[in-house]
Amino acid sequence: MDCAEFEEILHDLDRPGTRGLEMRERALIHAEGCSRCAVLVTESEALDFGLHALALQDSELKASPSVEGALLREFRRQKVQVAPRIIRWQFAAIGVAAMALLALGITLRHQTKTNLPGAGSGPTASSVNPGTVVPTAGSPDPDVKSNSVTTTATSQSDDSEYATAFVPLPYADDLTSMDGGAVVRVMLSRSALTSLGLPEAEMGGAERIPADLVVSDDGTPQAIRLVSQVNYE
Amino acid sequence: MTDDGLLRRVIAGDEEAFTLLYRRKHPAIYRFALHMSGNAAVADDVTQEVFMTLIRDTKRFDPARGTLGGYLFGIARNHLRKRWEQDKRLAPLIDGAEDFVKVANGSANGGNGNGVHGNGNGAMHAHGFGAHPHDEFTSLETVGRVRQAISTLPENYREVVVLCELEEMSYEEAASALDCPVGTVRSRLHRARGILVEKLREEKPATASGILAGSKVAATVKRRAVGE
Repeated sequence: MDCAEFEEILHDLDRPGTRGLEMRERALIHAEGCSRCAVLVTESEALDFGLHALALQDSELKASPSVEGALLREFRRQKVQVAPRIIRWQFAAIGVAAMALLALGITLRHQTKTNLPGAGSGPTASSVNPGTVVPTAGSPDPDVKSNSVTTTATSQSDDSEYATAFVPLPYADDLTSMDGGAVVRVMLSRSALTSLGLPEAEMGGAERIPADLVVSDDGTPQAIRLVSQVNYE
Repeated sequence: MTDDGLLRRVIAGDEEAFTLLYRRKHPAIYRFALHMSGNAAVADDVTQEVFMTLIRDTKRFDPARGTLGGYLFGIARNHLRKRWEQDKRLAPLIDGAEDFVKVANGSANGGNGNGVHGNGNGAMHAHGFGAHPHDEFTSLETVGRVRQAISTLPENYREVVVLCELEEMSYEEAASALDCPVGTVRSRLHRARGILVEKLREEKPATASGILAGSKVAATVKRRAVGE
């Protein structure tokens, strides 16, 4: 062992788990033959002695008892705060679960209702109730009267909207001989509706009006009806 | 019961477990804060803050990242740094060293249980130092000089000396507490010990020989050196 290596491990000679402790004997043998390293090891051991004495003297030092008192008060305060918080979370969780169940129930009920024949709304034939002009896909209603305009709201496709009866368009084929087709919900401008022969009085003040179109298999619109949203408030 | 077991009970709200954990862990934190600040009131405050942090955010401790002790030392270190930033007067620890000596002497006298008040004239019987009056004098003087030398070390050297030498932590534990590599701890400690040796050597050659007289290994090496 040379002096450089000795100095590298000098401060670890008594430290467990270090290379210094493993090489302790070799280091001391080196120090016996090297006066400079002998002085270094002596000083290092002296420092260890002083540090050990200091650690012993301080071993009984503790924080003031008031610190423990303050901490215990804080611990109790935190415990008191956490308990209601847990209960609040439990209530919140139960509330959310109840809301989710309610929403699920409403959705299922709504789906059941819309699946009934003639119920529901939307761009399909099922949006039109029986008793009104119902040109459902594949079976246009033969009772559609040519060139007549029905102004009364005669159908209610769901709880929030009303629709007039279907009015055959001027260029429409004979609806009684129509085979196939579908009802499509569209938003039409006031000018487009006027060009289809609907009176302006039907349209209220809105610029764009929802309407259901009966479309034949070749894509030609055959009849139209206006739809209006009902505001329950 | 292990620290982890106690901590689990603390999380569950067990006050007795918290008291046990506090009494087990706080002396080392207090001593660290005292060595680092040189001020008993600051050490009390830092100790309180460390355990307040533990109470308020118990689940933050991750056993996979190190020991609970290392975690608490890390919090103490952060609080000390905040204090130094707030009050620069605390940074040169030598200013508070007198307070520290008073505290330590109070402890050496048996103190009053909290180590803060003491009359400063006590013997060392409580710690089992040598029974001979000369040995007591040598030990007291030695401890005082070593304490003084440590208090003048730069902060990053001082903390490794306190953790590795006074609290007898391994390099790995200290590295975890200080959030730095093991190699950094080792090199800082070697440098710190070198500075301490120089300070003790410079201060009082006559007394230094007294310190050396207390070291059995040193005496052995001396004997070997002279060929006895």
